Amino acid sequence: MTLTASPNLLVAGIGEMIVSSSPDAHLVAYGLGSCIALAVWDPRVKVAGLAHFMLPSGAANSASPVKFIDTGIDTFLRTLEARGAVLGRSTLKAAGAAAMLTVGGGLAIGKRNSEAVQQALADRGLKLNASALGGNAGRTVQLEVADGRFLIKSLSSVAEL
Amino acid sequence: MTLTLSEAGQNVVAGTFGRAMARAGEALGSMCGQVIQVQTPVLQRCTASDVMAMAGGPESIVLAVYVGILGSLQGHALLLFAPPDAHRLAQILLAGLLGPGELPMESTADPLHYDELELSALQEAGNVTISAFLNELGMHLHEPVQPTPPQVVIEMAGAVLDAVLLDLVSDADQVLAARTTFSEGDRAIDGTLFVLPRADSLRVLLDALGAIGI
Repeated sequence: MTLTASPNLLVAGIGEMIVSSSPDAHLVAYGLGSCIALAVWDPRVKVAGLAHFMLPSGAANSASPVKFIDTGIDTFLRTLEARGAVLGRSTLKAAGAAAMLTVGGGLAIGKRNSEAVQQALADRGLKLNASALGGNAGRTVQLEVADGRFLIKSLSSVAEL
Repeated sequence: MTLTLSEAGQNVVAGTFGRAMARAGEALGSMCGQVIQVQTPVLQRCTASDVMAMAGGPESIVLAVYVGILGSLQGHALLLFAPPDAHRLAQILLAGLLGPGELPMESTADPLHYDELELSALQEAGNVTISAFLNELGMHLHEPVQPTPPQVVIEMAGAVLDAVLLDLVSDADQVLAARTTFSEGDRAIDGTLFVLPRADSLRVLLDALGAIGI
């Protein structure tokens, strides 16, 4: 299994989100360390979204709509709903939130991101169906719009979550 | 906090960072026994995405030596190499320490595998380079700048950089990034040094340099 290299790659850069219903699109977030990617896919209408969150909390930011989990998650979920997704029947998966650096006090933002996403979903009556969070390895993730497959690539492996 | 500097103030800061980057290159060159060329450093305000792009994109694989900066100036420093360049640098460093018969074989099978000696040499190279930079800056400050012990990480650049960037962008959209590229002629080793000060301690440095209000 490999990640796709195709012109239909739509990239969610740091602090960005992508929502698509294009069946040949692959949504990608590259090189997640402490950041966290939330992937949502509605199997009925085949609408998919990928958000590349940076931090647990902060003021809403128009340049980076999903920079912060607490003020960005509704923007992301509402965009999905506006495209026809129903969150209650969608699969929700998350990856990232690693601790890459251990010196200098640890920069333990990954753990806080992991907790913040799960809390924000719980507050909205939602929960993750699967996750690959924590650890100390970077991850690139890819969500397939056509079938909802969520692939996670590290330096040593590619796996489907 | 956003500080607006006059052109003269910016020149003072750029000159100081330039001298510090040159000291860093000299320290690395002296460790290698080679002349290291240091490109004119670029000092700019940029977004997290810009920093990722400067490192070759978030998915490019790098060997990074990370050093946290504590004391009167706080922030982060990273020395980045593409894996093949890091191998070549390690070979040069170890050749100066060990006899030719004792030199580990240069691995061609797996560019992401480094033996313990190589990692140790590269970690020390990062430590020496970044410390030389900080010593030069520290000469202008009233209190010492203290580097943390170095940490070597072989990873996607995005994964290494995001932890550092997240520490800097919680209340700002931009960071101040100082960046330069080192190269060693014959063996074509390119490395990139990033120094990313925290915004709240930047004023201390600018005050010490006399860059504010000129």
